[in-house]
Amino acid sequence: MKHARKSNARRPALIGVKEDAPAHEPSARSTKAERNGSAGTKSGATTPADGEAADAKSNGSNGDGAAHVGNGHDEPANGATRADSRRRRATAESMAASQRDISVSEFFAKNRHLLGFDNPRKALLTTIKEAVDNSLDACEEAGILPEVWVHVEQTSPNRFKVGIQDNGPGILKAQIPNIFGKLLYGSKFHRLRMSRGQQGIGISAAGMYGVLTTGKPVKIISKVSPRKPAHYYEIQIDTKKNKPEILNGKGEGVDIPPGEAGRKVIEKHEIEWIELDHGTRVTIELEARYQRGRGSVDEYLEETAIANPHVTVHYVDPEGNETLYERSSTALPPEPKEIKPHPYGVELGRLMTMLKDTKATTLAQFLTTSFSRVSPGVARKICETAKLSVRASASKIGRHEADSLFQAIQQTKIGSPATDCLVPIGEELLLKGLHKVVPGEFYVAATRPPAVYRGNPFVVEAALAYGGVSSAQKVSLEALTELLSESDARSLRQFLISNFNGIGPDGAERILKEADLGQRLTPGKLKAADIGKLHTAMRSVSLDEGQSMNVMRFANRVPLQFQPGACAITQTIASTNWRAYGLSQSRGALPNGPVTIMVHVASVWVPFTSESKEAVASYPEIQKELRLALQAVGRKLSMYLRRRLKVKQEGERRSLFLRYLGEVATAVSDLNKADRKTVYDKLLEVAKKKTAEADVKLDDRGRKITEEEEEDFGSNVLIIPQADAAASSVAAKP
Amino acid sequence: MAKKRTATDSNRSANAAVGKRDKKTLGDLKNLADGVVVAADKKREPFLEIPARALSNVRYNKTKRYIEMGGNKNRRQLFNVSQAKAYMQTLLVASGCKRLIDEQKTTSIRGLYYLLKHTIEGTKEETFGDQDECDPIIEDVEVTLNSLREELHVFASNRGNLAGSLTLIDNGDEIDCSRMGSAGYSIPSIVEPEIIQFTKCDAKFIMHVEKDTVWRRFNEDKFWKEHKCLLTHGSGQPPRGVRRMLSRLHHELNLPVYCLLDNDPWGYYIYSVIKQGSINLAFESTRMAIPDAKYIGLRSIDFERCQLSNSVKINLNETDVKRAKQIAGYPWFAGHKGWQKEIQKLLSNGFKLEVESLVSKDISYVTEEYVPERLRERDWLD
Repeated sequence: MKHARKSNARRPALIGVKEDAPAHEPSARSTKAERNGSAGTKSGATTPADGEAADAKSNGSNGDGAAHVGNGHDEPANGATRADSRRRRATAESMAASQRDISVSEFFAKNRHLLGFDNPRKALLTTIKEAVDNSLDACEEAGILPEVWVHVEQTSPNRFKVGIQDNGPGILKAQIPNIFGKLLYGSKFHRLRMSRGQQGIGISAAGMYGVLTTGKPVKIISKVSPRKPAHYYEIQIDTKKNKPEILNGKGEGVDIPPGEAGRKVIEKHEIEWIELDHGTRVTIELEARYQRGRGSVDEYLEETAIANPHVTVHYVDPEGNETLYERSSTALPPEPKEIKPHPYGVELGRLMTMLKDTKATTLAQFLTTSFSRVSPGVARKICETAKLSVRASASKIGRHEADSLFQAIQQTKIGSPATDCLVPIGEELLLKGLHKVVPGEFYVAATRPPAVYRGNPFVVEAALAYGGVSSAQKVSLEALTELLSESDARSLRQFLISNFNGIGPDGAERILKEADLGQRLTPGKLKAADIGKLHTAMRSVSLDEGQSMNVMRFANRVPLQFQPGACAITQTIASTNWRAYGLSQSRGALPNGPVTIMVHVASVWVPFTSESKEAVASYPEIQKELRLALQAVGRKLSMYLRRRLKVKQEGERRSLFLRYLGEVATAVSDLNKADRKTVYDKLLEVAKKKTAEADVKLDDRGRKITEEEEEDFGSNVLIIPQADAAASSVAAKP
Repeated sequence: MAKKRTATDSNRSANAAVGKRDKKTLGDLKNLADGVVVAADKKREPFLEIPARALSNVRYNKTKRYIEMGGNKNRRQLFNVSQAKAYMQTLLVASGCKRLIDEQKTTSIRGLYYLLKHTIEGTKEETFGDQDECDPIIEDVEVTLNSLREELHVFASNRGNLAGSLTLIDNGDEIDCSRMGSAGYSIPSIVEPEIIQFTKCDAKFIMHVEKDTVWRRFNEDKFWKEHKCLLTHGSGQPPRGVRRMLSRLHHELNLPVYCLLDNDPWGYYIYSVIKQGSINLAFESTRMAIPDAKYIGLRSIDFERCQLSNSVKINLNETDVKRAKQIAGYPWFAGHKGWQKEIQKLLSNGFKLEVESLVSKDISYVTEEYVPERLRERDWLD
């Protein structure tokens, strides 16, 4: 039964409802079908052919998701027994009538939270995020330095029009409708290659959400070359069939000729297009809400700029403010290579499908061509262990043989997968990116060597910025006023905590106390004078103490902005002992201090906890690498902090002695009539000698403190010299 | 320093009256400063050697029967982060004392604190945060110079009273302590022979009680008249003035000292301080200890002996128990069977008794029965 249920449910996720779309079925029936969902799965076993067809094109997570929904509303056990014991409510025949496929688009239309459309605010972000990620992937794959235009415009109180344009290679006319109007359509799912997008759901889901909430179609303009006309499509997704519906040009789209004529067409359709030789622009109108702060579009773009120093982003926010994130590097990251799956990462079921589908004739050929890191020698070893002939026909391997082959693969020693398929950001660019956005005094980055989880290679990188002022301190009065008016936080305290990184409940309370404002005031109703007070307080209150670490998470260069608690990155940071590195930390929590940490996980297949790609799943291998990367930056941080503390202590020592010398000299001259100035000068000399000795003593290798120690940090460190506060405060007065 | 005085002005008034003892003290103070100059001249770090005032640096002298200070000294350095401020404060206190001597004035320890407290130039830091920071430094200067507090012209607030047939001269004024009304003669902080001289005494012994309330009971009942004694109290732990006074009366006029204290570890300790001297002021034991002082009560057997009611019991708390065990371990109690028994009894009782609890028998029970009976029976702890 389990098998049957699964295959039946999986089927629609793959094939959709194309062939047997029940066009004749009235909609009343379809609702009934859902009510009887449990019965539907039960008798799904009667169509074994369908099940097999589904297996042939089996896939991972999305299929499972669909299966889940297929059984969504059921209470199978109870329903069945009750029905047996009493009068039958429905017969197998009547139930069969309402049993039908569920389209993947229908599924996601109902479960849009799985894709990151839980609320209007997040919908706006997800839409922009999916479009930008696709643009960057396309540009990089085509070897073009990406330049992206993001335009957010408010059309009515809760509707926004979002336009995203790139300078990518463009999309062929025939492919446009499918890419933007069909869920699970794309180039990225079936290959193992590091890219931002993975599944081919994102942008079409965004379009679908737009259509669902505003009824406006997705508008796409794409141009492949300067000589050829651009194509203009208005598309909406047919959720029932998971098929694009082209609305303009009688279902054929419209061509926009180059030059003046084209401009007119664009004007006529009320769309925008920035003149480019090639590129794509997608415009989606959707129900959304725009709000700055954590989890906002602005944050996403800012973090994208950090992780993608080769990208230029032009951003126009709903108020019409233009922000430009200019690229700091003109070098395109090397192109990630596509790899074959590693034998260790393949499950038995997948192995069997691969065997069935392979074009290879012999088993040895199959192993060497379908997998990475399998040489003829290794293939022979695998076959020997499995007690199968090297020349056995691959397509005729039975279930039993496949099982022993699978076992043999696990027992055979096979080299780690090739890791040149991964393109980490690199320590230098991490430092550059972080320094550009996060003010601080010390930066360190570490890129771990590639490692493997479930046969998928991955790389973990971490960069850390220490010191500097928090976002609460650099916010301008105007920006604060705006934030306050936009905020939907219930109290001022909550507003501070949720809008600014680094202000914990503690910090918020201190700020409000300093500003002499009540914690429960409504942010939107604050008077101008009070806003001024709040702003001053935010600047003056030192947040270093209670401030908790600011974590930026990235997966394949895409910022992860939600579900920090569920993410392996946050979990690993919290479980690392930062006290050893000189930060304060309560057990199981993020460490405290003016620290920003950025962690990047790059892989050919980043294991996300859900389709909305918000959190990285906790594979032990990934956690281990994360920990090692964090420890690498932590060690450098503790070196820096130690040195900083030493310098500070030395400064304090010196100032302490100097401070009391005057008093001592006065007392001495009072007591024995010695000349105060002489006594002071002599004591000062001794003090200098004493602290100079201490300076030398500090270096445990007996070397003087010079640049040598700076070099000890290694190359992946950036130190911004700070004005020596301690030294300047010393008032050396005779 | 803002408070710097013109030297000529103060010297003129001072020198005339500076006595022999003051001259010695001034010399010691000057030596302290000279040490700094010498060290600075030699480019060495200046430091002070301060005898340690801790339990580890006192020992019980069995023949003299009081606590003596050991030879351990702590070095206080100017160029040591944790000691720099204390060093500065020590010299500051020394200079303050010099000023007092120069001007032939005395001040309270609180007065000295205010005299020296000011903001350090160029900072927001105060020389002394509060008086608690200043008081131990004054003691440091006392032990370092081996001078007494009164020699430094510093006194503490009066905290003890005396009544009885004693006539003395205090700062030139003749005082008859039997005619001091209900409050008695307030024992000053400085009772050195230069200030106070005894002229006439008819008393046969000294009755020292723990606190004012008990003292008033004795005074009101004219206990001292009836029993020909001097009646003193020290407001709990007696201050130096009271201890020095008792010591002088005991040694100069040969008056035995009897103590009536609460039956709790604190009472035991007060007795121990009167008898052997305190750890903190071990250097002054010679002048203050009264090894022959007797402890007449309250005893832990008194609950049964006097048939007190249950309601006067006060339960011992954890600190009391700890303290009692600690006191039992003091060398001067350790070998004393009577005291061991007394403390054991207190611990097994599990409660303490205040002298006032005797009021539950009768308002004047303590003066009319309890003490006379003990004295008559020579029943006390030694």
